Amino acid sequence: MGVIIGPRVIDAGVSLLSVLVAPVPVAAGYPSPAQDYFDGRIDLNEHLIKDISSTYVVRVTGESMEGAGISDGDELIVNRALEPTDGSVVVAVLDGELTIKRLRITPDGAVLQAENPKFPDIRVPALSDLVIWGVATRCLHHV
Amino acid sequence: MRRMPQIAHVDVNCFYASAERAFNPSLEGRPVIVLSNNDGCAVTRSPEAKALGIAMGEPWFKLAPRAKEWGLVALSSNYELYGDISARVMELLGRYSAWLEVYSIDEAFLGVKGTPTELLALGRAMKAAVRRNVGVPVCVGIAPTKTLAKLANKWAKNNPAFGGVCHWDSVPAAVREDLMGRLSVEEIWGIAGRLTRRLNALGIFTIADLAGVDPVTIRDKFNVVVMRTVLELQGTPCIPMEEERIGRDQLIFSRSFAKPITTTAGIRQVMSVYGQQAAARLAKHGLQAKILTAFAGTSHFNPKDTSYPSVCVPLPMPTADPVILTKAAHALLPRIVEGIRYARAGIMVTDLRPTGNQAPLSLFENPHEERHIGELLEDVTRRYGRGSIGLGFAGIRGGPDWTMKGDMLSPRYTTHWDELPLVKAA
Repeated sequence: MGVIIGPRVIDAGVSLLSVLVAPVPVAAGYPSPAQDYFDGRIDLNEHLIKDISSTYVVRVTGESMEGAGISDGDELIVNRALEPTDGSVVVAVLDGELTIKRLRITPDGAVLQAENPKFPDIRVPALSDLVIWGVATRCLHHV
Repeated sequence: MRRMPQIAHVDVNCFYASAERAFNPSLEGRPVIVLSNNDGCAVTRSPEAKALGIAMGEPWFKLAPRAKEWGLVALSSNYELYGDISARVMELLGRYSAWLEVYSIDEAFLGVKGTPTELLALGRAMKAAVRRNVGVPVCVGIAPTKTLAKLANKWAKNNPAFGGVCHWDSVPAAVREDLMGRLSVEEIWGIAGRLTRRLNALGIFTIADLAGVDPVTIRDKFNVVVMRTVLELQGTPCIPMEEERIGRDQLIFSRSFAKPITTTAGIRQVMSVYGQQAAARLAKHGLQAKILTAFAGTSHFNPKDTSYPSVCVPLPMPTADPVILTKAAHALLPRIVEGIRYARAGIMVTDLRPTGNQAPLSLFENPHEERHIGELLEDVTRRYGRGSIGLGFAGIRGGPDWTMKGDMLSPRYTTHWDELPLVKAA
């Protein structure tokens, strides 16, 4: 049974986002001296997801953001509640598609900047024409 | 100055279509319909689809031949997506009021207080936050009673001048009376078709007519439910909160507690009771559910330490099994904060479908049953005749485009790791 808590996905009792950081109590006789110090596992949700109802996970296709450390196939944590500012890595709506770029706000309007010299920047003359879907806060890069 | 509490009614515009658009912006501005279970008929229509004259419940086979010409996009019901988006909307709304009743998958009532200016600002803030943070559009109606709040919301939706937020008391009395005098009684929450005919027979045609009658007379001629509606139209709140409801495609259990519950163990017990009740009700209606949403909330008497946890759980198969439903409802427990005074909790089961002939509790799930291969075969055979489809060696001989059924289901963007929304880096 998949359990979804906001954007989290936990499958069949295996918590994908939990990491054991303290030894479990030993089974026989002795109480483990570590037991008193075990205060739960690191919960990546707690650290990576600040706003549960506003956070989505998306997957990247393409290489235009390699310079920002975002590769084809990586997952991004996107918070829709954040205000995009100059320099934010954003998911923008371009021609009906979700597109990842770095937002630059200039006196002449906005620029959606690629982080790979092989890809062009996209100029948006009026900031109001730009639909920002969300602000990326983390990249889950496959190593 | 102390003001009487008011009720805000918030609902998502064309919920299912809007949830799809949140992840597929290319659907923006296009006619979109979402089809019922088994792709039978349209259950949600975007405004563009309504403008084409597509009626609620119109069967897909009638629309399909013209879909291409219209540019109409038809989608299968993606209840996992809708359940998660619903849980997000409710969680977000819970931040605006310590008193929230999840009324259905896409609507909620909230207790609110303030001056007319503050209430309008609150309504606009909620609307903006849901749109921006979750990604779906809502309208808000605020009024002294639930019935009027529903009506105010309807006005907010249908009249662009309101900007999607209508505060009943801020609308000039003359405008209110004019609108109520022009709207049929059918437009009121809880007045159904048969009741309308009986009211019409008594010379009650418009909302204004009904608001003008004597509540006691109406109780004698009809029943206490209609009397309450009249009282609510007159501004006296009297619709009890939190009843068990069965809707088109959902069943909700939600109750306030006599005493607040402050422990996870206590909530576990409540969830277990609801899980079993839901199972019993589903069985009684011959239904099985595919999605369960569980939620809890703190009281409006205690504006500090508010907490509105909710979870959406896709079930492993359509089920009315109490063990599975209860286990699923327990997914809420890790989100319960010990020591917080929870005043209410509930569960909602959605993606309901008629009970098949599966065993009630199958420890060894049949993957074909789980994927409804049987149902699909039956459907295709019924529609296109025997021999149009078969399993394995009984298989395909070419022919009708039956695979479309699968194509119309959008990804489960927020609940399945391998179906995440794709963003282009190009």
